[in-house]
Amino acid sequence: MTKILNILPLVAFGVLIVVLYSFLTQENDQLESVLVDQSVPEFELPSLEDPNKLIQKSDINQLPALINVWATWCIACRVEHPFLMKLKNQSTVTVYGLNYKDSREKALKLLENEGNPFEFSIFDQSGKLAIDLGVYGAPETFFIDEKGIIRERHVGALTEKVWKEKFGKYLKDKADA
Amino acid sequence: MLKKSLFVLVIGLSFSSFSAELVQAESQEVYPFEDTLHEERFASLLTELRCPKCQGSSLAGSNAPIAKDLKKEVYRLVKLGKTEEEVKNYLIDRYGNFIVYKPPFQSGTYILWLAPLLFFLITIVVIAINRSSFSRESDS
Amino acid sequence: MIPEVGHILLITSLVLSLFGGLGPFILKKDLPTKKIALVMFLLVLGAFIALIYSFLIDDFSVAYVAQNSNINLPTYYKFAATWGAHEGSLLLWILSMNIWLVGFIIFDKNKNKYFSDIVFGVSSLVIFSFLLFTIFTSNPFDRILPITPLNGADLNPSLQDIAFTVHPPFLYFGYSGLLLPFAISISAMLSGQSNQEWASSSRPWTLMACSFLTVGIGLGSWWAYYELGWGGWWFWDPVENAAFVPWLLSVALIHSLLVTEKRNLFINWSLLLSIFAFAASLLGTFLVRSGILTSVHAFALDPERGLFLLGIFSFFVLGGLGVYAFKNTIKSQNSFYSLNSKEFGVLLNNVLLVILAASILFGTIYPLIYEAYTNGKQISVGAPYFEFIIFPFAILLGLVQGVALYLSWGTTKSFNFITKLTLESFSVFFLTLLLLFILFENLIATSFFIIFIFSWLIAGSILVNLRFNSLSTYVEFINRRIGVLLSHLGVAILVLGVGVVSSYSYERELILGPGEGIKFQEKEVELLGISNSMGSNYISKKANIRVSTNKGGFDLISEKRTYIPSGQVTTEAGIEAGIFRDFYVSIGDNLEGDSWSFKLQTKAFIRWIWLGALLITLGSFISSIKLLRKQA
Repeated sequence: MTKILNILPLVAFGVLIVVLYSFLTQENDQLESVLVDQSVPEFELPSLEDPNKLIQKSDINQLPALINVWATWCIACRVEHPFLMKLKNQSTVTVYGLNYKDSREKALKLLENEGNPFEFSIFDQSGKLAIDLGVYGAPETFFIDEKGIIRERHVGALTEKVWKEKFGKYLKDKADA
Repeated sequence: MLKKSLFVLVIGLSFSSFSAELVQAESQEVYPFEDTLHEERFASLLTELRCPKCQGSSLAGSNAPIAKDLKKEVYRLVKLGKTEEEVKNYLIDRYGNFIVYKPPFQSGTYILWLAPLLFFLITIVVIAINRSSFSRESDS
Repeated sequence: MIPEVGHILLITSLVLSLFGGLGPFILKKDLPTKKIALVMFLLVLGAFIALIYSFLIDDFSVAYVAQNSNINLPTYYKFAATWGAHEGSLLLWILSMNIWLVGFIIFDKNKNKYFSDIVFGVSSLVIFSFLLFTIFTSNPFDRILPITPLNGADLNPSLQDIAFTVHPPFLYFGYSGLLLPFAISISAMLSGQSNQEWASSSRPWTLMACSFLTVGIGLGSWWAYYELGWGGWWFWDPVENAAFVPWLLSVALIHSLLVTEKRNLFINWSLLLSIFAFAASLLGTFLVRSGILTSVHAFALDPERGLFLLGIFSFFVLGGLGVYAFKNTIKSQNSFYSLNSKEFGVLLNNVLLVILAASILFGTIYPLIYEAYTNGKQISVGAPYFEFIIFPFAILLGLVQGVALYLSWGTTKSFNFITKLTLESFSVFFLTLLLLFILFENLIATSFFIIFIFSWLIAGSILVNLRFNSLSTYVEFINRRIGVLLSHLGVAILVLGVGVVSSYSYERELILGPGEGIKFQEKEVELLGISNSMGSNYISKKANIRVSTNKGGFDLISEKRTYIPSGQVTTEAGIEAGIFRDFYVSIGDNLEGDSWSFKLQTKAFIRWIWLGALLITLGSFISSIKLLRKQA
């Protein structure tokens, strides 16, 4: 019996080391969205392009789609911009913009200079819709499937690699169906 | 001309002293509340909610833009009369359990809350085994 | 040139430490351990000085200097920047370990050379593994060539503070000091040294390591308080917990070694705690530098380095526990101790400390376990959990400590002291409540429990109930046991500080423009004005605050600093420190014109927390020195 007790600490720490090793090989620096498998929340916000026009959830109707959270102050958004333009030009998927806590003037100017990949952009100056979506920075991109359900959220710039690994599979499912 | 400017000067001065007095009497709260219950609830919530983007700061201790936005949101909810539980659930619905410092008591976290008890039991068992093996040795 | 010299010195010490580490085990040679230890120390010291020199002359061709310094950085921060990031702080760790080893070699009076040689061997191996890690993955002397930057990135602004020059060194000394009890326990198991001898060898070093850990943690708390700008002093941050866990285990170890030395009991406790305490210290290093935990303190590193550190942890902890399981030559004897003995008191104490340490460690890594188990879901385990956990332990430990010093070895003859102790506690309790009422004109029921524990601890520390023939005998007694009494008194004072600050503190957040004021906690607080100011590497907005009552007052300054090289913004709080209450102002955001938001706070008895920590530090240090002198 004493023998078992003597080996017990060794075994316990052995387990701890295995557990710690598994943490090292796990790669996760993003907060997973809790809105996965829920539909896009209701909202009513002005459009970026036309301040008099109000956009609602029902206006997000070309599904499946991406909702991309962007702003002129966000540097990584500039990095992903060309890829968003590519998505638009190749008609891969509709991209809706959520202009997050930004100046309308600057945002419109940017779209004019660099091109507008968005079907339209929602002007969320207070960040209220962003909070409802669980957004905590820019850029972030949500994939909405054909039923209007949020399937995944990516934090950080949307690149070819991220598209292939994270979002591409949802379009494939649709194509296979 | 002189009379006019004197008139303006007198009016101006009296206004400024009036406003200075007013300001001395009430300086503005950043997050004003009518009663201490709500004020304390707000302050308490800010220490119990975590900033989603920071390196482990609470909303109280962070100046990150998202922390400020969430502070405003918490303020709005507390002003509406929501309880601590309701405010926390509102944020958990959007950001997940990550945003509260107190882990939930549910499947997946039972072992966390019961851990000290578990460790205590293990220790008692080990000590008891040890003592009994000693007395067996001394008996033989 | 100098960085290369430093690099070579490190490599030389690497070879020497390997030689010293293998000598007693494989070569079985009789080594001149004193000389080797001294040479190793001088080599590492030389490397450390080479790094400091590179900082002081602004040698930005050294990558580490370029990442952590700047031409305009004040000189004393250039000096401290040596340990401002991973590579340099690792070198500090290694230097500390060498200093402890030299200390042991010189001051330990053990006659058994085989025993001392194994202690030396194990320690050298640990030093070797850290040197290996440094040279191969974290070399502070790596150069940026051929294009040398003209200026550096600057030391992280939050580190540009006086506390940064003392907090890491003390803390690292504490962490690394646990190396000696570990090495001693391994040596004890392999060399067959008598329990009384190895325990008495280990106790002074454990006390000294604990002393440094205490002051290191205390300094961290004090620094966070005035630096972070919102009045908190402990956050249950993973890195803070990573220091608290070895502290708890080292305290348990000190008491266990006492029993082993005096009564030849708790041998397995002492052996295991020696291994666990060092393991916790290594684990702390791993957690902070592997990147698996999110913390303001964490070094932003890659998992490959984490893997190496995990390897070091595994080798020494599993190695030590392997020796315990299979190669332990110490035969544990059964000796009886009754339930009314000091031994049993220590047992209770250790059970509580170890369970608390394990629980805190578990809670700290639990978010990672949960994420793995639920495939990606995340939770936070923070203050509400840890405070809930520690409360019952604090109460139980407090109750045990109160009586502990009255208990006798073997059997306590009489428990009459309990009645007197209780009476004394209540006296202190009511006196304290009276004091609090006079100071704050308020009594808060939620603080009563902790204040009672404080009173119980005070009564248990001053020991007036032991029979003394005269006052001079009592004084002589106090003198003889001054280390013990100071440390236990320190715990009492710390408990009082914690209890009062959580209940009697107040805060308000408001907007002030120049000339505007408000009444807060019986005082008039007025913003005199906002001025612009400059430091050598920052610009700032200074808020001049006047706090006054009809009896007088004081002025405070709170600053918003923007550091030029990095653009980072920090807040410096204005604090009026007081023995009973701190007045705390921190500037917030610029709202419009010269109107800013401010946070005003009063923190009652907060200094007692650090006073308590200081007393614990002093007490354990004094005990340690006394024991080392007694050994001779």
